[in-house]
This record gives sequence, structure tokens and C-alpha cells, in this order.
Amino acid sequence: MSSPVTVGAIVLVTVITGVIGARGVRVARTPADFLVAARSVPPLLNASAISGEYLSAASFLGVAGLAMLDGLGALWYAVGYAGGYLVLLATIAAPLRRFGTYTIPEFAEGRLESARLRRATTVMVLVICGFYLLPQLKGAGITLQAALGGPYWVGVVALGTVVTIGIASGGMKGITIVQAFQFWLKLTAIAVPALFLLIYFHHPAFSSLRGEAPPTFATATTVKFPDVEQVDVQSPVTVEAYGVVNGVHRHGPLLLAAGGTSVGAGSSLRFPAGAKAPTLTSTVLLNASEWESPLVRINGIADHPLAATYGVVLATFLGALGLPHILVRFYTNPDGAAARKTTAVVLLFLACFYVFPAIFAALGRLDAPQLYATGQTDSVVLVLPRLVAGGAPGAALAALTAGGAFAAFLSTSSGLLISMSGALSHDLMGKGVRAFRTSALASGLVATAFGLVVAGDGINVLVGWAFAIAASSLCPLLLLGIWWPGLTWKGALAGLVLGGGAASFAVLATMLGAGKSGWPAVLLGEPAILAVPLAFLTMVGVSKLTRSSLPPNVTAKLLALHLPEAVRPT
Amino acid sequence: MTATTPKGTTGQKGSPGTKGPLGPKAGRREVVRAPRRAARPVATSPVAGDLYKQDSYSRSLVASLMRAQMGVTLSALLPAAAIVLAYPLLAVLSPGLGTAHVLGVPLSLVILGGAIYPPIVLLGLWYVRRTERVERRFVELFRDRD
Repeated sequence: MSSPVTVGAIVLVTVITGVIGARGVRVARTPADFLVAARSVPPLLNASAISGEYLSAASFLGVAGLAMLDGLGALWYAVGYAGGYLVLLATIAAPLRRFGTYTIPEFAEGRLESARLRRATTVMVLVICGFYLLPQLKGAGITLQAALGGPYWVGVVALGTVVTIGIASGGMKGITIVQAFQFWLKLTAIAVPALFLLIYFHHPAFSSLRGEAPPTFATATTVKFPDVEQVDVQSPVTVEAYGVVNGVHRHGPLLLAAGGTSVGAGSSLRFPAGAKAPTLTSTVLLNASEWESPLVRINGIADHPLAATYGVVLATFLGALGLPHILVRFYTNPDGAAARKTTAVVLLFLACFYVFPAIFAALGRLDAPQLYATGQTDSVVLVLPRLVAGGAPGAALAALTAGGAFAAFLSTSSGLLISMSGALSHDLMGKGVRAFRTSALASGLVATAFGLVVAGDGINVLVGWAFAIAASSLCPLLLLGIWWPGLTWKGALAGLVLGGGAASFAVLATMLGAGKSGWPAVLLGEPAILAVPLAFLTMVGVSKLTRSSLPPNVTAKLLALHLPEAVRPT
Repeated sequence: MTATTPKGTTGQKGSPGTKGPLGPKAGRREVVRAPRRAARPVATSPVAGDLYKQDSYSRSLVASLMRAQMGVTLSALLPAAAIVLAYPLLAVLSPGLGTAHVLGVPLSLVILGGAIYPPIVLLGLWYVRRTERVERRFVELFRDRD
């Protein structure tokens, strides 16, 4: 699948990122410059930068891939990724900016007067950023693997290196412009191919696949298997087989019986038009009405769909409030009103973006059911252009999406690495530029190392977990800290530990294989439905019990958060 | 991190014609929001200095401001929550909704792939306008009271 045009696109994106980022190096001198770009970023640029940083591998590749595989219910992830900004806008955008602190741990300490809470908050920042960084590195590995045909580690190491060096040398000022550029690149990279494929090519109608119908090949299709696969054939079909099938080397027509069939690496099977698409034995194939259901499935299974859907909704709508690498961008606005306007624009930008992964998922289902057989649904955005358009247009569009995907990894990874380094150097180690650079290098190395050994969990699922942990730790801290005078540092700490801890534990349990079906799958796989209420109740309950630990000047703090700038003392 | 009340002030809130309720001799009160890193110490000005006393006037002022802001917040978030929570519930209660087609395309694709976004975005834009109006009114009321 190697294509020089695709490789060129990835290299171009990386080089442009590096050049624009390097231009910012000259002006980044003080730690403040490094961390919040001297609060001088205009709103439209800031909104583009926030959107650019926010649209990660999950948004660019993961949503489309998961929706194609697990059904349209997976689009709730996208709705939540965007809708979280409405919650952010309406609850914390202006107050957070008005309070004036640089980072979330600093907000915690400034609002509640506790160094212990600040340290705990820093730990949560590192946990959330870490969980969010791994799928980016994995996405890079997959994309470069698809583009170069080389091993997975090349992409991981390449991304890790580029991002680490960029952060350590230039900090955030350069990165703001880069993020803004990358948002528009990503939007173009997904919108243009999606619209082009949708409009200029004929697609099978949805009406031809209704009810119990499984995905079907509209035209005769050759399915190439790069690795050994175990597939399920839906019903007997005569294919043209080249390669090893069921242990026997074939070269010509072959009647496949329904049921399990093993296909050797490098083999290809050509299915006639109208044949039902096979699927990997290890994944669940959904028929038409299952796929069209707007409810979330976990691993393709629809146990407790309402709870699962609400779990995803809760995690995504509230998790945006707890993402450190996004929250820190609020401090680059001149005042609270600007922060609000910026957030509203981000909401608009994101809503426009997420229409397009949905188009890719639908087109993938209709036009490329062979991806079910090879387990490549996560890369539908990357491969669909070539499969549908073919030839030069297909290669060009595929290069565009690959460039956009890599831009997604670059921008989000940079933002995450800055937050992690900032948290480490600013809040745990010493201050100063040297400390920041050292933290950046250290975090980058550790993250890259972990990225190499990330397990087989899907990109979107990993990101969903970062959101769930954020929703059950930093989100309640911010919401209650900004709106409830009665919060104490002990209550906040208890909530962080219990809520964030519960979500983290559930995530780790799921990563290690617990919870395959039934209630365990829902509660461990979508821990937000329990962990978020737990966090809020703990923070409120423990605060009420520890009223003596209220900060001494709550009114002044609330004024700092809520008072419009026009009546502030200057 | 401390708010020190200067001696001898009585917080005259409604006295017109002076530089402010505290007069030019008011002591400096510093409310430092975070150690080492405050944006700047919040110095008093004659107009807003009295807010930073921890008395019931300040408290009720803050409370009323927050109530007004929270009101706008809820009016933006509750409709969004209603939409987002109702759709899955309806899909569970009426399976036909989940598999309906509209103009040849699955309804769930139309909604989750596009139609659910405009209400959310519009609620966001509406929130910005309303909350700016609330804050403008607050500023006017606050200045008028001198």
C-alpha cells in the first residue's frame, strides 16, 4: 500500500509544521511565553488553534472507523467531542480565564489554598494526558505503516521525535500558529475527499441493504489479505482464490463453504457482485438494522445499550472540561468575554468537522465491505479514496487524508506533551525554561516508549477512556470550584482520588481484558456513568463534612472568577 | 492569599460626590489569588474596592451575579441535555425509530451525522449573547449605585 504521494504528503505536513514552529522559537524566551504564548492570540486564530489541537486521531480516523465497524451508535462519540464545548462554554470558559492562573493545578491551589491538592491535580493531568497520548502514537504507527508498508515502530518513533524536539525548542507560541494551520488542513483533508467521493461516484443505495442484510459487495471485488486471517464466510460463494486458503494453495475458482475459513498472508480472494462480505471471525458482523441503530455497542454487542450510550455521552460531554491541553489555551485570550467567544467559535468549527467522518463511515459500509474481512476498518478514511476513486484521483485524495491524519497526531501530541511537561516542570519540579525543556524531553521519551507497546485497543476507545477519567476528576473540580462556594480542598482531593481513581481502575481493568459482555463490559468500558456521579457526590459530601478547611476568602475568589472585567479594579 | 481590612473604614456604599465610598485614604487591600503567579495583585479602586470586604453586601452581590449567570447557563444546557438524552431513550422505546430511513438514508445517520449539531451550536451562540447581556446589566447597575 506504499505510495510516494502519500509519503510526500506526510513529510510535507511535518516539514511545514516544523518550519512554522521554528519561526516561533526566536520569540519564546520566558516560561510564560512557553506556557501561554504571552496572552496575545486573537480569537479567531485561537479558536482555530484549539480546534486544531483538539481534533486528534480519534476524531480524524477513529470515529469513522468505529462507526463503520460497530454501527452508527459510535457517532455519539463525535457528538460528544463537539458538544462538550457547549458545556465548556456555558460553565467554565469565562470564569477560568478571569481567575488568571496559568494551569489547572494552579487553579486548584489558588482557589482552594492547598499544595497537596495541587500535586494531586498534577498527577491527574499526567494520567489523562498519558492516556490520550498513546492512541496518537498508535495512530501514527498505523498511518505510516499504511503509507510506507514498513513496521509500526517507525511511525511511533517519528512522531515522538518530531513532537518532543518541537516542544523542547519552541514552547507554545510557535505551536499556536501551527495548530491553527493544522485545523484548516484537517478540515480540508477530510471534507474534500468525503464530498468528492460522495458526489462523483456511484454508491449502492441504503435501501438495498435493509433489515437483516449483511454488508454486500456491490461490484466484483478483490480482497487482499496482508496477514494471516481467520474469516467467517456468510453463505456459500464461488470466489477466485490466489494464495493459501484453508491450508491449501489455490490458483483459480474455489467454492467457499459458509463458516470459518483461514486465509494465508498475501492471499487474495475475488468475490462476485452481490456476494455477502466475509468478516474476521474475531469481530461481530452487524446486519443492516443493527448497524443503523443509534445506540452504542461495546465490542459489537448491544447489552444494555441505553446505559452504554449514556456512558459515552457523559464521558464525552463532560470530559472536554477536564482536558488539560485544551483548558490551558483559555489563558491565551485577553479576557473572559473573548474566552467565551473563542469557545463558541470552536463549537461551530467542530460541528462542521464531524459531519465528514460520518460520511466516511457510511461510504465505507456501502462501498468497501472488504475492510471487515481484513480488520482494517480503523483506516477507512485512509484507504477509501483509493478503493472508490482509484488511479490518480484516488492516490491524491488518499495522500490528502494521510496528511490530515498525521497533522491530527502532530497537533494533539504537541498539545499533550506541552501539558505534561508543563505539569511536571511547573508544578512538580523547579520552574524555568531549563526545567520545562528537560520535562519535555523526558515525557516525550517515556510516551514514545509506551507507544511502542500499546496493546490492540482501538484508537477511539483509548481516547474515550481519557475522556472518562477527565470527566470524573478534573471536570468536577472545575465545575464545583467555579460554581459552588462550599468546596473545600479536602472534598476536592477526595473526589479526585475516588472519581479519577475509579475511572482509571476501570480503564486498566478493561485494558487487561475484564468485562467482555453484560454489565461488567458497560461499567468498566464506559466508567463515566458511575465514576462521574461518584466524583461529584464525594466532593460535595466531604466538603460539607470539612467546612473548617474552606479557604479564608471565598467571596474574593468568586469575584475573581465571575466579576466582569469592566467593574474590576485595575 | 490574604485579605486584610484596613482600619477605620465603614464602607459607605451610597455616597455620591466623593471619589468612592472609601475615600482617597482607603488602605490597600491585596487579594492574591495564587502564590508566586497571580496575574497581578488585585488592588482596590474606589469603585470596586468595597466588594472585597467579606461582608454580606459583597456576598449577596456575588451570589446574585452567579445566580444570573447560572440561569443563562442552565437555559442553554438543559435543552441540549434534553435532546441528547431523549434520542437514545426514544430509540430504545421505539425500535422502528432506530431503523427508519428518510430520503433513502438511515435516520440515525442524518441525526447523528449532522442534524443534531445545529441546535447545539445555536444554543452556544445564544448563550454568549444572553450572558453578555446579563453582565452588561450588572455593570450598569453596579456603576449606577454610586
